[in-house]
Amino acid sequence: MSETSNPQLRARDDIVLKVEHLVVTFDVGRELVQAVSDVSFDIARGETLGLVGESGCGKSTVGRAIMQLPPPKGGKVIFKGQDITQLEGEALRKTRTALQMIFQDPISSLNPRRRVKDIIAEGLQIWERPNQRARVEEVMEAVGLDPETAADRRPHQFSGGQCQRICIARSLALDPDVLICDEPVSALDVSVQAQILNLLEDMKARYQLTMVFVAHNLAVVKHISDRVAVMYLGKLCEIGSVDAVYQHPSHPYTQALLASIPELETSQEDAIPLLQGDIPSPMNPPSGCRFRTRCPKAQAICAQQEPAMQASPSGIGDHFVACHFPG
Amino acid sequence: MTDSQHQTQQVPLLRVEELTVRLRGEAGIVHAVSDVSFQLQRGQTLGIVGESGSGKSVMARALMGLLPRRATHLMEGSVSLAVDGRVLELLKLSEREFRTLRGPRLAMVFQDPMTALNPVLTLGVQIAEPLQLHLGLNKAQAMARALELLTQVGIPDPEGRLRQYPHQLSGGMRQRVVIAIALACDPQVLLADEPTTALDVTVQRQVLDLLLALQRERQMGMVLITHDLGVVANRADHIAVMYAGRIVEYAPTSRLFSSMRHPYTEALFKSVPRLSDPSHTRLHAIPGRPPQLIDPAPGCAFAPRCPNAQQRCRRETPALAQIGDQHLHACFYPIGSKEVGA
Repeated sequence: MSETSNPQLRARDDIVLKVEHLVVTFDVGRELVQAVSDVSFDIARGETLGLVGESGCGKSTVGRAIMQLPPPKGGKVIFKGQDITQLEGEALRKTRTALQMIFQDPISSLNPRRRVKDIIAEGLQIWERPNQRARVEEVMEAVGLDPETAADRRPHQFSGGQCQRICIARSLALDPDVLICDEPVSALDVSVQAQILNLLEDMKARYQLTMVFVAHNLAVVKHISDRVAVMYLGKLCEIGSVDAVYQHPSHPYTQALLASIPELETSQEDAIPLLQGDIPSPMNPPSGCRFRTRCPKAQAICAQQEPAMQASPSGIGDHFVACHFPG
Repeated sequence: MTDSQHQTQQVPLLRVEELTVRLRGEAGIVHAVSDVSFQLQRGQTLGIVGESGSGKSVMARALMGLLPRRATHLMEGSVSLAVDGRVLELLKLSEREFRTLRGPRLAMVFQDPMTALNPVLTLGVQIAEPLQLHLGLNKAQAMARALELLTQVGIPDPEGRLRQYPHQLSGGMRQRVVIAIALACDPQVLLADEPTTALDVTVQRQVLDLLLALQRERQMGMVLITHDLGVVANRADHIAVMYAGRIVEYAPTSRLFSSMRHPYTEALFKSVPRLSDPSHTRLHAIPGRPPQLIDPAPGCAFAPRCPNAQQRCRRETPALAQIGDQHLHACFYPIGSKEVGA
């Protein structure tokens, strides 16, 4: 696999996290699956990058690879100027305190036998931070949990939404720079989902967080993100500001995704044809452009040559698309 | 109350009256479904919308006779199905009698197609089974019909697929197979319980469009159960919104969206993130969380989260009352009423 050029990486001095040529592979029996294939993007301080795509596109794997869980097979993850894929042991663990993560299923991410205050305090204890009790109370209050009544309870005494608040409090305890959210609201009911999305926005402002928000729901991603990266079968299709990607989607896959969302109050008559067929198996991705088997615009060249990232025809700054026939 | 719900001349295909289901849970008796009434006509789609714990799935299972008897503490009310000019009372049927109805009269599509299919039988065998059991086809006839069904649900290479096992198909293809099985004996009523929740968004629309097309073609009555208002917005003829085991609002779809009256319906509608909103728009979250259905407090179940709630809401449970042509709601202080300050 040849490395492509990355025009989508921005020359700014406030880039907190940069991912370059990220490759993640998994052993599946005797075969090797490339779950993430040469993905590059960057995130500036205080930005939220939404990573969207359907199941199997590698979005969650990218989130985990940033955390070095497990370390990627290839590429770099540059956090504050340091390539953390080169770190090991104590140095990696120490760096990782600045990168925290929350997950899709809040109940299974919490140890059922521990009390809420101990769950939130664990990182503080490991790193022997001062004023642990005060810090635990502060983050609990920040996420809307009453330290008086909640601290001594165990996870099963809380609903899914409350458990996600506990997870968020735990992730904030060590005062991280970057919060990686992997489908944090997709297991929650709509009415609770809105609470958690609003809370994440509040926490981002209060603790000056930079966020990676991984989700399959485009409306949710739009609400919380500044920039959006669309993935399909391990590849980056399109990246740009929320306005660029949602108002001027340039990749046929992004267009199809947007057209597929069941929207309230709209009629189902859409100009964009529905996608046919299912997502191919990542074990055996199509040659050339991986989307070509479902793409309404596919031509011969799409099977032969993998499209490189190029500036989108939208003309909007920092809007890039990997397609032979964008627009 | 229910008699005036629909002024229709014909006998409804499915008529549910004051259905109440209580289940035995580990922590006590769960008031899963309370006083649910609705009617379904031939060729119509009723969307049932609710969050987890709203009772929508338990209700569907009760209609299908699929609730385990030992776990059922109480099942009251009436579910009547019009069959060949007769009206059958489903809640009074024995398991043996019910079995003759599942397939040819009532069929169901479940949320997770992987667990709905048997992993060790080929798809052909699974689609042919109801055809042999209910329609008395022999194996060759049943397989020929299975092939037709797979073609109808849009599965490429149907002949090859007949010999395959569920794990060899993608999620969307599996759900198409489940739909083929549900439709095999030409049911009159199809219950689809979150049929696309486990599917990706580009596949979700294909499957929903397929269900609707088949429903229209066969003039089935369909109950489409979902947590997502967007799924039913353009597909259902009527929508019933459920909360804590009760229908809180019922209306023709366009009317519901143009003049929703129950504060929960509106709150649910507003809490959905929209593509049309600009980035970082603050969402209208509903405070608190859905209530426990064990030992429910008196009064309206939504009262603790409701912006319109007053003293009365905490004492009395509002009944589902008609407010206009086919529009019902269960609220003392609905949106737009004079007694509400807002």
